[in-house]
Amino acid sequence: MRRILISFIFVLILTVLSISTALAQVQTRVRIIEASNVGSNIDSSLRDVTGQISSLFSFSSYRLLKEETFTLQKDQPVSMPVHPGRSLELTLIKQRREGAEVRVKIKREGSDILNTQVRLTPGRTVSIGGPKHREGTILIALALL
Amino acid sequence: MKSECSSISGLLEKYFDQEVTPEERSLVEGHVPDCSACRMALDSMQNLRMLIKNPVEEAVGKESFPWVWEKIEKGIQRKERLGLWDFLKSWLDVTPLLKRKILIPAVAAAVILILITAPLLFKKTTSYATLSVVEYVESETHNVMIYELENEKVTVIWLFNGPEEEVSTS
Repeated sequence: MRRILISFIFVLILTVLSISTALAQVQTRVRIIEASNVGSNIDSSLRDVTGQISSLFSFSSYRLLKEETFTLQKDQPVSMPVHPGRSLELTLIKQRREGAEVRVKIKREGSDILNTQVRLTPGRTVSIGGPKHREGTILIALALL
Repeated sequence: MKSECSSISGLLEKYFDQEVTPEERSLVEGHVPDCSACRMALDSMQNLRMLIKNPVEEAVGKESFPWVWEKIEKGIQRKERLGLWDFLKSWLDVTPLLKRKILIPAVAAAVILILITAPLLFKKTTSYATLSVVEYVESETHNVMIYELENEKVTVIWLFNGPEEEVSTS
């Protein structure tokens, strides 16, 4: 009789753990891009991003500076340097079946210069741009994998 | 009823072997007709006895004891080869008291599990893609503009450079 109870509790715990684990992490791709009007080179790996933002901006050159993939876990921030003196911090706030809510911070010398929360869904790129870099501008492209 | 059943089930073997006192006998005989679990227990004891008794009686006639053992062994093996349903039944074969002790918490736990997981699995949310992509934006140092194009699935948050930005440009 005891084994029935133990088996049941074991299955119950496994089910709850697997559901909560599956729901509490998400893979995110971060690409740091230099967009400029110097030249007309577009990195082939950036065709998806440039195709999306070409209707908003008229940069002629897009160069991939850095690309990283993070597995975000709920309420556990991850960070990466994005620009001299700046860092990008990502935190998974909530995960849903159709995507994830991610808090994005850009920090300079420890203080936030941008604090935002965005909804990432499959197929959608959220870009953050503006900081100047050499003769161009930095674009940070975030997307779910 | 519960305590009666558990105390009677302890007497069943003695009753079967005719080792009970007259009081215990009347107790068992009063209980068994109303209790299917105890009846089944008595039946299985009877079956087991027959399983052994018949070959032994045959063997006594033939005076062939290896043959007796062979028959008993075959009977035991047949009993051991239970079907899936019999296996499950034997696994779940518990006295009514234990059934309640296990089944009630088990059903309650299953209901709780369903209540917890059902909203996660079947929740109908507003189409996520149609909601605004940017929940909020804060910047104390920069002006910020948000561009959103639903058709092209693109959102851009643009930071307009402050005066100190030019200095850090490299």
